[in-house]
Amino acid sequence: MTDTDFDFETEALSYMDQLYAAALRMTRHGADAEDLVQETYAKAFAAQDKFTPGTNLKAWLYRIQTNAFINTYRKKQREPKRSDAEQVEDWQLAAAAEHTSSGLASAEDAALDSMGDTEVKRALAELSDDFRMAVYLSDVEGFAYKEIAQIMDTPVGTVMSRLHRGRKLLREKLREYAADRGMYDRREGATPKKDQEVCDGAQG
Amino acid sequence: MAHKAECEEALDRLFEYIDNELPDDELVRIGEHLKTCPPCEAEHRINEKIKRMVHGAGGEVAPGDLRTKVLATIREARTAE
Repeated sequence: MTDTDFDFETEALSYMDQLYAAALRMTRHGADAEDLVQETYAKAFAAQDKFTPGTNLKAWLYRIQTNAFINTYRKKQREPKRSDAEQVEDWQLAAAAEHTSSGLASAEDAALDSMGDTEVKRALAELSDDFRMAVYLSDVEGFAYKEIAQIMDTPVGTVMSRLHRGRKLLREKLREYAADRGMYDRREGATPKKDQEVCDGAQG
Repeated sequence: MAHKAECEEALDRLFEYIDNELPDDELVRIGEHLKTCPPCEAEHRINEKIKRMVHGAGGEVAPGDLRTKVLATIREARTAE
């Protein structure tokens, strides 16, 4: 039973929609998402004595759900998408740390405006689990790096690297969708030379 | 070149800047750089826009029967105690 001044049941249940939305992103399946949320609550209630009132209940619930996902659902998933992690090599990251030309950047910026929720969800779904979860916890839930580290049970440095790589891949996928629709041509030559701008030049 | 080093720092710390994870002095320094460097600002704008798009894509509401199922699970656990 809970203390009179802290109603664990009411407090915990108030996060159900958020946990469900997160479970949908994690499992990518409606039925699996429902099972995952149910498992999360079953585990949370069984372990509620371990929760300290006044600390972050939402993060605590997310941690339980993330563990449940990793231990149960990830294992049974048909073919976990692991290829992303290997795809981003260091040289790609280094290359990505440079500016794109301003012509390309504004074309990309404009192409993003034509993207809807469907494309964003699809791009997220194509990321590997670790990248997708880090991006979701930061961008959707607004958790701080330290909280994500606790939820994912990993060092802050790993969280930052997952966010970095996950977002680069996400951006790359959105660019691909835009290019498929003919809205964005990524080839340097596709933009007029005069549009190209680099920092040194901008500063003189 | 000093300016190139500033760009490197800004691009390297861009996600931390966007996520508000930087100490104040770095936050101010990078913010100042972005104001004066259009290519870095373009990168900033694109990444921030994607973050906003990810934030906005979602918000699904739990199906009503899930709530019922969860409550049933809890009640069951209670009576079993």
